[in-house]
Amino acid sequence: MTRYIVRRLLLLPLVVLGVTFLLFLLTQRLSPEMRASLYIKDPRQMGAMEEVITKYGLRDHVFKQYGRWLGSALKGDLGYSHSANMPVATAIKEYLPATVQLALVTIVLVLFFGVWLGTLSAVKKDRWQDVLARFVSVGGFSLPIFVLGLLLLMLFYGKLGWFPPRGYSVMTDVTIHGPNFHAYTGFLLIDALLNGNLRVFLDVLRHLLLPAFTLCIGSFALMVRVMRSSMLEELGKDYVRTARAKGLPERAVIYRHAGKNAIIPVITLASIQFIRLLGGTVIVETIFDYPGIGRFGVTAAQQLDIAGIMGFSLMVAVLFVLGNLLSDILYTAVDPRIKLSE
Amino acid sequence: MYMNACEDTVLKVEDLKVAFHTEMGTAEVLHGLSYQLKKGKVLAVVGESGCGKTVHALSLLNLLPSGGKVTSGRIYFKDQNILALSAQELRKLRGARISMIFQDPMTSLNPIRSVGKQLTETILAHRSCSALRAQAMAIRLLKKVGIPQARERMKEYPFQFSGGQRQRIMIAMALCLHPDILIADEPTTALDVTIQAQILKLIKELQIQNQMSAVFITHNLSIVADVADEVLVLYGGHEVEKAPVQELFAHPLHPYTQGLLRSLVSVDQKQDKLPAIEGYPPAAGQSMSGCPFAPRCPKACAKCHESLPPIFIQDGHEVRCWLMEEKA
Repeated sequence: MTRYIVRRLLLLPLVVLGVTFLLFLLTQRLSPEMRASLYIKDPRQMGAMEEVITKYGLRDHVFKQYGRWLGSALKGDLGYSHSANMPVATAIKEYLPATVQLALVTIVLVLFFGVWLGTLSAVKKDRWQDVLARFVSVGGFSLPIFVLGLLLLMLFYGKLGWFPPRGYSVMTDVTIHGPNFHAYTGFLLIDALLNGNLRVFLDVLRHLLLPAFTLCIGSFALMVRVMRSSMLEELGKDYVRTARAKGLPERAVIYRHAGKNAIIPVITLASIQFIRLLGGTVIVETIFDYPGIGRFGVTAAQQLDIAGIMGFSLMVAVLFVLGNLLSDILYTAVDPRIKLSE
Repeated sequence: MYMNACEDTVLKVEDLKVAFHTEMGTAEVLHGLSYQLKKGKVLAVVGESGCGKTVHALSLLNLLPSGGKVTSGRIYFKDQNILALSAQELRKLRGARISMIFQDPMTSLNPIRSVGKQLTETILAHRSCSALRAQAMAIRLLKKVGIPQARERMKEYPFQFSGGQRQRIMIAMALCLHPDILIADEPTTALDVTIQAQILKLIKELQIQNQMSAVFITHNLSIVADVADEVLVLYGGHEVEKAPVQELFAHPLHPYTQGLLRSLVSVDQKQDKLPAIEGYPPAAGQSMSGCPFAPRCPKACAKCHESLPPIFIQDGHEVRCWLMEEKA
């Protein structure tokens, strides 16, 4: 197990190198002049172009340029993001925790609704509960996320005023940047609890729920389908009959026996969805004006912020490998037949 | 405690009919089965694939798969009608008073639950005792059914055991609460021949030790002789013959039973070709007016094709065959 994890972690640099180098090659499609002009804000300074090109070695061989980027990246310097007006590393540190927080709350909601409705659907196959669960999940799946997000925002913020957008309230902003609030982890929900500040915790949660719910509606349909079919398959198996023949209560037969077997494929799906959420909650982050990493990535791409793009993709690659590793480890926890050895 | 003749009967099946609902309509697979099982006795139910023997076994504990339904009849365990029990009452019966062993030990155990947990949960579902005590009981049982290093192996999962060992675990699970009746549905079919004999011996030993009654379902007549007290032969969802085991082997009366016994391989006699019963059994749900065996029967007459013979009884030997009418 430990050996497996170490080997997978050794793979991490390879994936990161591959992804970043390919991206770096793409940026080389732009001429040195074009790349240099990105650093020149004032048209009157166009004369300084040659100076910028020499200074940053933009005419050097691609390997040399990439080596330079990699060298400073290893030292923790990912360059300066002009779209975010701060160093890329700082931007990631600032925006990533908010997105991770959002993705975590979302995936918990997705798992809860997906597993619950999927199980209900399977156990009550072809009855009204099944039809309703399928209708709700397909309905959620078919509704474009920007339509749903806007509708929810209109209803729960515009009309009812329950769940406001924008990460956290002004009060919270003042508190967390104040002298008495220690940012232990960068995750506001956890930091608020560690600081013993329940008001901040509830405030952040309140701002989180609507985007999380929107994301959940968009992705739990697949989970319901997978859980339903997996559960139906398990319920027809011999060991379920054995469990009933032993005189176990029906709840134990469904949850303890069939459910635990049925959830194995759900784990794969959940980890894929979780990784996707980490890199791609752009639309929802934009609709709810949520200060997350997705918005940073998109802005960087739109403004041709090369340092920002490189940093963002480096981060996504790392998360992707770690996320997959996590799902492999989760597998072994659920299924004793899987051993992470060779 | 009062005693009478009925007190001895632990299981009484009356006119049991089972049907399956399919897209092609309703198919009756068991057409009114009746028998009694006495305390400490073993009844073997014998028949070809598709004759309804497994369906009958599953209906005894109301475990029929979806689509299957008992359409009429009564199943009495002592004086309780199993078919009229509530879900909760039925649950208390299952695994505690009436236990079941299935055909395929490879798939009958939960693959991702440790053997120890699968055993203890059975005990804990019926007895209010501590988990520790249930664990001790489970270890004792595993030893009893011949699993070496039982304590260590409690933590292991089914895939870490051989097929024979898994069936031993199933047996331990079925017997952990000293049931009155054991239903064994082809418990040795999926195993190697050498293992078959061991498992049969184990079941027989435990059955005698616990003074348990058993319904032993098999398609293999040769294993019946060692295990059973009485044999019930099923064909096409009908009882065709029932007799004490020696009587049946010595004087089989139904042509089907005679055919079955003839097709057993014997070491004493030299045979060029293994005698077989020609033809195929009727498909489930196929409606027949006459005797279901008539199309394959060497002794069939016109009457056999026209109407189903009743059961003729002669000195406790039951036969469903028109040939018996003349003798009676």
